[in-house]
Amino acid sequence: MTCRDAIDILADYVDGAMPAELAAELERHLAGCEPCRAYLATYRKTGMLGAIAGRVDMPAEMQTRLRRFLSEQLRRA
Amino acid sequence: MGDGEALEALMSRYASRIYRLAYGITRSAPDAEEVVQDVFLQIVNKGAGFEGRAALGSWIYRITTNVSLNKRRGKRRELETPLDELLPTFLPDGHRAGDRAFVVADWSSTPDRELLAGESRRLLEAAIDRLPAHYRAVLVLRDVEELSNEEVAEIVGDTVAAVKTRLHRARMALREQLTRDLRTGA
Repeated sequence: MTCRDAIDILADYVDGAMPAELAAELERHLAGCEPCRAYLATYRKTGMLGAIAGRVDMPAEMQTRLRRFLSEQLRRA
Repeated sequence: MGDGEALEALMSRYASRIYRLAYGITRSAPDAEEVVQDVFLQIVNKGAGFEGRAALGSWIYRITTNVSLNKRRGKRRELETPLDELLPTFLPDGHRAGDRAFVVADWSSTPDRELLAGESRRLLEAAIDRLPAHYRAVLVLRDVEELSNEEVAEIVGDTVAAVKTRLHRARMALREQLTRDLRTGA
């Protein structure tokens, strides 16, 4: 397995959607490849950071405006 | 249940999710607000027929994605970077190409609180801004909303294989930008 092959399949590995045999082959590659170990660690961390950054809340004043907007729409309907 | 109560129930259940997805795709609070209003308007226009339907969640995600992507058309494109420039490169033998210090750079042990604050947070947000919108859509649906590849494929109207490829490329592009930026403090 080359680095290109390893990086190609990282998503399935990180998402736990990889057949055990292929995962074992990837892990053998990772054991001997520092760049791919660094890549996997930062790839995983990136996913986590993206998920945290994406958890934005709808501002309270926007919720108020939405309620007002929808009440008007219902009245018109 | 009256229309008002039904709508209030839908708001409690879906408003935050719609906003999160809309903001994730448009990266603009005013645009996301318009998307939320537009989506709820469509719910109102559909009437009570949708109440309690199992497929409502998927329908809402689908409408939100479409409205958000439409809103993005022609807007803020200048911020987006072609993805190919942000993917790893390889030597003919399949090994990583590039400066050794860069390819072994591992910032993953940096504490989250450090990465999610101050300049690092700004770099992260800027890296997300630079992703093409339809990549951000898949990233939000999978990594933030935690939907399956199959559910995302149905929402974005693509194959599971295409969703997996887009997700992987989006994560790689984000990783690449963070690795470059965190090293240089760009």
